[in-house]
Amino acid sequence: MQKIEHRQIEETLYYEKLPNGLQVYLLPKPGFNKTYATFTTRYGSIDNTFQVQGQEKMSVPDGIAHFLEHKMFEQPSGEDVFQEFSRQGASANAFTSFTRTAYLFSCTDQVQKNLTTLLDFVQSPYFTDQNVEKEKGIIGQEIRMYDDNPDWRSYFGLIEAMYQQHPVKIDIAGTIESISKITKELLYTCYQTFYHPSNMLLFLVGPVDPEATIELIRENQSAKTFDEIKEIHRFFPDEPDQVAEKVKEVELSVGISKCLFGFKEGKDAVNLTGEALMKQELATQIVLEALIGSSSELYQSLYDDGLIDDSFGCDYSLDRGYGFSMIGGDTFDPDQLLQRIRDELPKRAEQGISPETFERIRKKKIGANLRFLNSPEWIANQFTNYRFNDADLFKIIPVLESLSVDDINRRMQQHIDWNRFAVSIVRPHS
Amino acid sequence: MSTIQFETVSIGDVRVHVCSSEKFKTTALLAFIAQELKPEYVTKTALLPSVLQRGTASYPTTIELRRKLDSFYGATLFGDVFKRGERHLIQIGMEIANERYLSEKKSLLDEGINLFSEALFSPHLEQGGFKASYVEAEKKNLKQKIESLQDDKIRYASQRMVEEMCKGEPYALFNHGRIEDLPQIDAQNLYTYYQEVIQTCPIDIYCVGNVSADDVVKRLERNIGDSLRQRRKTLAVPSAVHSAARKEKTVIDRLNVKQGKLNLGCRTNVTIQDDDYPALMMYNGIFGGFPHSKLFLNVREKASLAYYCSSRLESHKGLLIIQSGIEISNFEKAVDIIKKQLAAMQQGDISDKELDQTKATLSNQLKEQQDRSFELIHFHFNQSVLSGRERTLEALLHDLEQVRKEDITRVAEKIQLETIYFLRDQEGNANAKN
Repeated sequence: MQKIEHRQIEETLYYEKLPNGLQVYLLPKPGFNKTYATFTTRYGSIDNTFQVQGQEKMSVPDGIAHFLEHKMFEQPSGEDVFQEFSRQGASANAFTSFTRTAYLFSCTDQVQKNLTTLLDFVQSPYFTDQNVEKEKGIIGQEIRMYDDNPDWRSYFGLIEAMYQQHPVKIDIAGTIESISKITKELLYTCYQTFYHPSNMLLFLVGPVDPEATIELIRENQSAKTFDEIKEIHRFFPDEPDQVAEKVKEVELSVGISKCLFGFKEGKDAVNLTGEALMKQELATQIVLEALIGSSSELYQSLYDDGLIDDSFGCDYSLDRGYGFSMIGGDTFDPDQLLQRIRDELPKRAEQGISPETFERIRKKKIGANLRFLNSPEWIANQFTNYRFNDADLFKIIPVLESLSVDDINRRMQQHIDWNRFAVSIVRPHS
Repeated sequence: MSTIQFETVSIGDVRVHVCSSEKFKTTALLAFIAQELKPEYVTKTALLPSVLQRGTASYPTTIELRRKLDSFYGATLFGDVFKRGERHLIQIGMEIANERYLSEKKSLLDEGINLFSEALFSPHLEQGGFKASYVEAEKKNLKQKIESLQDDKIRYASQRMVEEMCKGEPYALFNHGRIEDLPQIDAQNLYTYYQEVIQTCPIDIYCVGNVSADDVVKRLERNIGDSLRQRRKTLAVPSAVHSAARKEKTVIDRLNVKQGKLNLGCRTNVTIQDDDYPALMMYNGIFGGFPHSKLFLNVREKASLAYYCSSRLESHKGLLIIQSGIEISNFEKAVDIIKKQLAAMQQGDISDKELDQTKATLSNQLKEQQDRSFELIHFHFNQSVLSGRERTLEALLHDLEQVRKEDITRVAEKIQLETIYFLRDQEGNANAKN
């Protein structure tokens, strides 16, 4: 087991790669009550066309990664695994994103038992025709819930407006129609492809003894047999630089319109890994914050004119084959807001970001990073996310410190491209 | 378990609670100001936290204030209002990086406490009142916040259910206030109201972090002037509304929605100030608080009717609220299954397994809260200040461990279903319950 010390932030990380390929990371947090663990596969909603070494290429129904996540909780005993976690005083959950599926628990007691339960349930699928059918009703209601959620609709609307081909534009849960095609056989195929330990990462954070914990994990894993490690090839269609639609609008029963907008990254700025990915991500976040964040003049003037409120924010996503900024929130007048953005953002961008502004926002981001380091959930999830892209969460502060104001202005020129600008609006029913 | 203690000191009538802990990389500051929940106050109270965040005596413009916070390693300043029983609480908070983890080692605490105190006690003033443009902008924002309630159907249904169930009680008021009050509010009368609140309402200030209690208290003392040290009013701890005479009613709202939102409201007749409160927590845990609870198992796992179905307590008011999202045509089926679970609780249909699971998960939940500074603060404020009694985490954990099945059944007998609320689509017969 390797020991990695991060002196500035006073964190020590332990790492081991097991013979079956599983990556294990342990982060002791003395003084904490809670242990939080995530067991994550590098498999999300975008991995819908793939080929395993020596097998045929496959395309699977939309929403299957998320469906599989639901079904993993089923056990041959007929009792779902939540019951076992509850008995052991743990709170368990799971989530599926574009690129990952994570299973997790948190507990303050019986850590070893809960860890064993986590490893065992994720490594023993049990699907039947009947339990697959039953889940369609439950997930159908999950889909309906999101259909009625204007924040989700505007968020997804923007991605749909930006992407022509890339599967990031497909809703993670799929549709009621697409999930109707899911069978237990398809679930087993996806499971066997993506749940091999060599495609997974286990992260544990809390008041744990690293030696005893790694010993338990080694034993648990060596007692199980897995197929040999095979390479997974994932296929993504060619994504043009142009957006699919300039503006996407829907009407819902809302009191206030939602307006989100942002810039799609071109081909040259996606598929980054490691430090290059971190640099681009952090630099773009600084750009957005400087141009339109809560301490910018633009934000303040829009706020004073009543065009935005404190729901207004900006965000940046960058992962396998896609990248985009997302800016916006609630507004009484999406059209006027967009007009102001189109008039004023180019001027601000042309003026460039000053060294003082850059320094202020860099400090803000360093402080925010410390705040996040209080959160075991954030550490485990973000670490895994970065690791799957060969980047290192604990390097955020050094990378921030390495950025220069020129890096930021260059990034701004590259990102703010009005040919790759898209808008999503949710309006009240007319 | 590592337990965490607060040290409480009074400055005049302002209570200061400090907890020194090495486990957080930031320092959390949070102030609670308690006001009665009343129609004549509610909107003004709701408006205060956002006006206070617009500018202070030293940083009169919002941009100056925000930039100061940024350069302060991204200190966060936030404010909000919420209800606890018949009380309306303002909270203003700040989180500051601890310089121990920064390459620049200058102390941020001193300035942080000054800025936080300014936000609370020294707002930017203009002609003896708040700055008019700030008040007008925040009125507009508040209106928008009230109107946007409808956008989140889960919150909307929950608020509508409470409005219908608690008609005529202050608790029916929305925490963000009423649109109709806004035109009468201006920079002058809001400032007059602010002065009254800041000088007479109970204030509790919390600080959690790698700090010394003495230091924090000394620094706050410098910022709490004589006019703030006068005697403050005490708000009555509200007691449960007894509802023996009330009949069950069904309320149906219609909007353009795809999923029906079902909310059921019960009176618990037990609140956080009662000895039976731990038994009520156990009741809620077994009934609907967790994925092993009766609601999740029966509504979701067995009947496949919903993605979520759970219950939660409003411990100060004495409410148990059940929430689910269902296919509109399944309204009666879902209500029927939920009522059967309520009945099962009253009949004492509780297994040892449910009892053990719920004790384990509740204890886990409470201990986990100790790892988040703001939750740590809220726990203390709820259990040891608002409840009108002193209940430590250890005492609560001990009491939960002692709860027997009979105690839960005794609580169950007091729980009365009062309101069934359903938010549904526009289709079908307007009068039919479907």
